[in-house]
Amino acid sequence: MSATAETLPVAPTEPLRRRLLRSLLYGRNSNRAAKARARVGLAIIAFAVVYGIIAVRLVMFAAVSDGRVAHRVVSGDAIATARPDILDRNGEVLATDVRVPSLYAEPRRLIDVDEAVELLTADLPDLDATELRERLSSRRGFVWLKRDITSEQQREIYHQGLPGIGFLNENKRDYPNGAEISHLLGRVDIDNQGTAGVEKWLDNQGLAALHLAGLATDRLQTPVQLAVDLRVQHALRDELVKARDKFHAIAAAGLVLNVRTGEIVAMVSEPDYDPNIPHNPRDPGLINRLTTGVYEMGSTFKAFTVAMALDSGKVTLKSSFDAHNPLHYGKFDIHDFEPMQRSLSVPEIFTYSSNIGAARIAMSMGVDAHKAFLKKMGQLDRLRTELPESAEPIVPKRWSELNTITIAFGHGLSVAPLQAVMGVGALMNGGILIPPTFLKRTEAEAQALGHRVIKPETSAMMRYLMRLNVEKGTASKADVAGYYIGGKTGTADKVVFGRYSKTRVLTDFMAVLPADQPRYVLLIMLDEPKALPETHGFTTSGWNAVPTGGAVVARIAPLLGIEPRLDLPPADQQILASLKESR
Amino acid sequence: MIFRVINIVVIGALVLAAAYVYRIKFDSTVQAEHLAKLRIEVRRERDRIAALRAEWGELDNPGRIEILAKRFLALKPVAPTQFDSLDRLPERPPDDVRAANDDPIGGMIGNLDPPEGVTGTIPVPEPPAAPAATPPDQPSGAPSQ
Repeated sequence: MSATAETLPVAPTEPLRRRLLRSLLYGRNSNRAAKARARVGLAIIAFAVVYGIIAVRLVMFAAVSDGRVAHRVVSGDAIATARPDILDRNGEVLATDVRVPSLYAEPRRLIDVDEAVELLTADLPDLDATELRERLSSRRGFVWLKRDITSEQQREIYHQGLPGIGFLNENKRDYPNGAEISHLLGRVDIDNQGTAGVEKWLDNQGLAALHLAGLATDRLQTPVQLAVDLRVQHALRDELVKARDKFHAIAAAGLVLNVRTGEIVAMVSEPDYDPNIPHNPRDPGLINRLTTGVYEMGSTFKAFTVAMALDSGKVTLKSSFDAHNPLHYGKFDIHDFEPMQRSLSVPEIFTYSSNIGAARIAMSMGVDAHKAFLKKMGQLDRLRTELPESAEPIVPKRWSELNTITIAFGHGLSVAPLQAVMGVGALMNGGILIPPTFLKRTEAEAQALGHRVIKPETSAMMRYLMRLNVEKGTASKADVAGYYIGGKTGTADKVVFGRYSKTRVLTDFMAVLPADQPRYVLLIMLDEPKALPETHGFTTSGWNAVPTGGAVVARIAPLLGIEPRLDLPPADQQILASLKESR
Repeated sequence: MIFRVINIVVIGALVLAAAYVYRIKFDSTVQAEHLAKLRIEVRRERDRIAALRAEWGELDNPGRIEILAKRFLALKPVAPTQFDSLDRLPERPPDDVRAANDDPIGGMIGNLDPPEGVTGTIPVPEPPAAPAATPPDQPSGAPSQ
């Protein structure tokens, strides 16, 4: 169709024969010129679209090609399982990724299975030949042969030139400090997925999804900084290992908590494990006793009993309670470890660790008040931290007066030790209950999270009692000169075959340092320490957990930046006097 | 005629433009390859740094340091009595070592015995031998050289 035909209108003077032909071909009244214009327009649009697509694709190719080049090269070593580094509070590396080659095979591309088996077992002697043959004979596209081989092995296998055998660089988690920080960090499995501790917490924070999407390939993720101090952790662990060996205890555990921020500066549960070495994660001997175990804490719970009474205002430091005779309740008798057979004042009940006195204090407050106070202190609910492991406290189902009597001195209620430390921290720090954390946290953030549970004056009185207990009570062996330690001991009879054992005990020591300006709470716990000649046959806390606590404080206090002050007056002047002034 | 000139000019411009675009494209490919290479190098360096950091962490482990220190050093843990605060530090004693003295230890010995009857609170009279050219609290080491 020529240009003239479509622009000119149809001439009326057309010969009859052509008009007839056209009317036969196109119909009588059709306007061919308009149709032709529409067709041309359609063609123009179609071509414009095609050229537009071509132009866009050209721009896209030019823009994207850079990324493609990089991606193609990297794909040789990307199993997308990178994890962020974990640092301690001073920036020391606690966990990092290192690249290690892993050996794989593509059985479909193998030519001679027997030759491959022979050559590979020559280089990797610990590879099982029959299993290897089985794997290589399978029809699968991809099988792992051995993860984490050395670079020398990689070189040798590479030089054998076997087809269908290749290497991938994988991220392997490395813990430079070994067993030093095991329970806290947790561990990862062979695919670099967290299975316990902070590592698992990281996965729950969205890292697992990142792994699934194949995005976590590079090292650019920001490191995670924990509250733990590697040096303090080491000192604590070292002393606990020594104590565990010395007293032949089944287990030893220790915890250092910053009472102003709720940060857990060190946490050790012996026996522990080296997270670099894979082993059975379900071994019951290796549980984290501070978060996963629940224990009757013994006399350290008297701190809660006394704090409750003092905070109510009904009991003062001058009040006294009858401890002449063992306390009879139903068919039970409550005895004291060292019976005084007289009336005891509140400080005496605390420092002599009188069961009868503590029970009488709790009874005077009533069952409901006791229960409500422990609830307020967070001792009756499961404590959740960043660690995925946590345990529900064992609370009596029917809380009778007998339960209140026994719980007053720390029997009949099992809590996770971390929980008890959190509660004691609140008694010490002026009365603010702060949820503990394993991550770095500032004081302001902690104050926003915490809430007041007791009056500041009650807290000062409790610190006075704790210090008094070190000056002339059961915790005197922990009095390291210069650090003004306060503390409460606890010895709980363990339940063996449903009965309280007289010989198997759990001893613990809860210390605050310094007692006048509290900064840290320390817990030392020994499971079934044995009597030694130098403990004169005693297994109570004052003979094992307390000296251990003293040794730990002497080592960690300089690391925590606590200045020794050698000429401080006794507790009634240093702590109580300031309390009276403020009134 | 004028159309032919325009055509030739346009064709020339087209060829030039094509050549220019080709060069840009070629350069960008070279740059992209260079970039990819650098990225791999950066990755490799990062991996190496990570491995070294892990090794450093292992070597710097407090447990290892403790064992080494016990074996090779005569150091002991610091006792609380060994700490003191800066504000309890006594004032700097008057200079025992006279400046511009060739023999600082000899100078110290010479200053050890103050004249009889002079207590510590009364300043020791300046011996005439000391030159007044240098200030007395200048450290020893003969700055006049």
